[in-house]
Amino acid sequence: MKALILVGGFGTRLRPLTLSYPKPLVDFANKPMILHQIEALEAIGVTEVVLAISYQPEGMLNFLKEFEKKLGIKITCSQETEPLGTAGPLALARDYLVDGSGEPFFVLNSDVISEYPLKQMIEFHKSHGGEASIMVTKVDEPSKYGVVVLEESTGQVERFVEKPKLFVGNKINAGIYLLDPSVLDRIELRPTSIEKEVFPKIAKEKKLYAMVLPGFWMDIGQPRDYITGLRLYLDSLKKKSSPKLAFGPHIIGNVLVDESATIGEGCLIGPDVAIGPGCVVESGVRLSRCTVMRGVRIKKHACVSSSIIGWHSTVGQWARVENMTILGEDVHVGDEIYTNGGVVLPHKEIKSSILKPEIVM
Amino acid sequence: MESLEEKVVAVIIVGGPAEGTRFRPLSFNTPKPLLPLAGRPMVHHPISACKKIPNLAQIFLIGFYEGKEFALYVSSISNELQVPVRYLKEDKPHGSAGSLYYFQDQIMEDSPSHIFLLNCDVCCNFPLPNMLDAQKRYGGMGTLLVIKVSAESANQFGELVADPITKELLHYTEKPETFVSDLINCGVYIFTPKIFDAIEDVYMRQEDRANVHHVTSFEALQITARSPPTDFVRLDQDILSPLAGKRQLYTYETMDFWEQIKTPGISIKCSALYLAQFRIASPDLLAKGDGTKNATVVGDVCIHPSAKVHPTAKIGPNVSISANVRVSPGVRLINCIILDDVEIDENAVVMHSIVGWKSSIGKWSRVQADGDYNKKLGITILGEAVTVEDEVVVINSIVLPNKSLNESVQDEIIL
Repeated sequence: MKALILVGGFGTRLRPLTLSYPKPLVDFANKPMILHQIEALEAIGVTEVVLAISYQPEGMLNFLKEFEKKLGIKITCSQETEPLGTAGPLALARDYLVDGSGEPFFVLNSDVISEYPLKQMIEFHKSHGGEASIMVTKVDEPSKYGVVVLEESTGQVERFVEKPKLFVGNKINAGIYLLDPSVLDRIELRPTSIEKEVFPKIAKEKKLYAMVLPGFWMDIGQPRDYITGLRLYLDSLKKKSSPKLAFGPHIIGNVLVDESATIGEGCLIGPDVAIGPGCVVESGVRLSRCTVMRGVRIKKHACVSSSIIGWHSTVGQWARVENMTILGEDVHVGDEIYTNGGVVLPHKEIKSSILKPEIVM
Repeated sequence: MESLEEKVVAVIIVGGPAEGTRFRPLSFNTPKPLLPLAGRPMVHHPISACKKIPNLAQIFLIGFYEGKEFALYVSSISNELQVPVRYLKEDKPHGSAGSLYYFQDQIMEDSPSHIFLLNCDVCCNFPLPNMLDAQKRYGGMGTLLVIKVSAESANQFGELVADPITKELLHYTEKPETFVSDLINCGVYIFTPKIFDAIEDVYMRQEDRANVHHVTSFEALQITARSPPTDFVRLDQDILSPLAGKRQLYTYETMDFWEQIKTPGISIKCSALYLAQFRIASPDLLAKGDGTKNATVVGDVCIHPSAKVHPTAKIGPNVSISANVRVSPGVRLINCIILDDVEIDENAVVMHSIVGWKSSIGKWSRVQADGDYNKKLGITILGEAVTVEDEVVVINSIVLPNKSLNESVQDEIIL
């Protein structure tokens, strides 16, 4: 079975993290973002994944070869030379996706994390016999997104409404699709929107069905949602009683700690924290609602909350880092410094406090 | 026939990536020394000034950047100026004087009688042949280029006192808190090979200090507080300050312009200074036009021969247009630097800005700033491949590469 992951371009919303690594390789819960999706696909028998990209940074191919070897799954890149929208890339990758078997293929949006109930989706697709299935998820504020209006009992999609002003429904497109190869015949190789052009046509022919996504869903393409997404992800690990979660007298709530990381005495870690490989958390440190990426050192008595600490950065003694502070790669926050929402580009030293949210170049 | 003793070499300190963060987002693509000023890379200006030195044997660029970032430039400039230019990469910081000492063998290869030392981020007239004559007259170990500045700004630099008659350097202090003098160090020097002995003395004194056993705990605290890591010799504090007043160092005062290229805003100002210099020394480098066959040119403007500028556009004062740029009808450009492959569409206005490589500026859009070089967002900078859509206004902002602006912004950094 095949799958396409829409990776897109420069990941500018996740800067400064994406100034050091391409977005698919930015870690989420101690694993490159794209690996979460590739592993979910491999687990249900997908043998080939096509990454639809608009630019290929140096070094990405090497990472992909590594994943290929480890997972035993084929990974190819389909690179667009001009922007093709959300449907065009499928036409571009046509030859990889159609193998004559008639099997449907998955399409995933790379910024999305969820439980990926892909096996259930295959069964749903078989049972309704339509041409296309999409996952939808319930949200509190549907008018921020594109709402999918569907018939509750069968899941048949009636129509799409972009950012509706009046309430029409509370289910939005979750960015996970299972499509019959015949859908490709509807997509031309030009900039096309799958929500505005392709799906509405299929819905009119009553061949598009939506399944409500069980479990959590988040678009982690920007820092605020990334932090919320970690909470949801760790929560789902808890529900499954995952052994990956840390426990101990110094742990509160759901916390992920890589086995190569070290935590000192008298720390209080959690809730909703991920500590990556090779990290050193010295004694007396308080961490909550934050991601600490590979190779970071948090020095004694520091306090970090609601922030992302980029690879190989350091947080000084008694420093306080909070309120959506995002440190890029190799950023060093001095001792006793306070940062309130500082967004710091890679390779910087912070020697004076940042009192209000500010970008430090 | 030139006598062997008369050879001169020049060393230009180009720095490394760590210092380039003030030049983001432009320095994401290109090392700061290669960013264009008045149509040529920043480092080109001191290099071409060195060409005027009689009996110039070699030019060395010393820095921390990877060799491959300079390889292309160095070979093309060597060819163009017909003088060997070499890039020497430092493995770790040695301090401004330590770097010179570290590469002593290469620098002394041709047994030069004099060695010029220049900082790449200095913008000035580089009166190097005059400095050579002055140095020969004074007969000391070295001569510093100095300039008078306003009393208020003097303390950002190295302040010094010189004897008004003998021009000897009497006193030198780096970034003092109180006022010492309005004469400052320009960062351009000429030395005799005796400089290497002076640097070696500093190293030996550092070793001696490290070997001293009988030191009170108070002294030990003082030593660690004041001295840098060993194997690190700074020109200012370790050589110039101690040797001032000892009849070794002299000064040569320039009455022309001088700036330190610390930020992209100042680089626009320096571009203007060099363009003004072209007007006097090489006016063919400047563009001309009155709107008939070529675009109207106001003030000092330089346009790369491969750029296409529509005759109905009005360009200047102080505009540099780089290679392959396309300027459409009715465009107005003032006080800006337009980098390679930029497309500026009809009737757009660009003022007090730097537009990065391959960017595109939409019809009737405005990219501008108030032009206050001292403010963080005083000039607008667009990184590589930024698209400003039609009719959008961008004011006092910095935009990182590969962004597309479809809404107006003001006073913002756009990641």
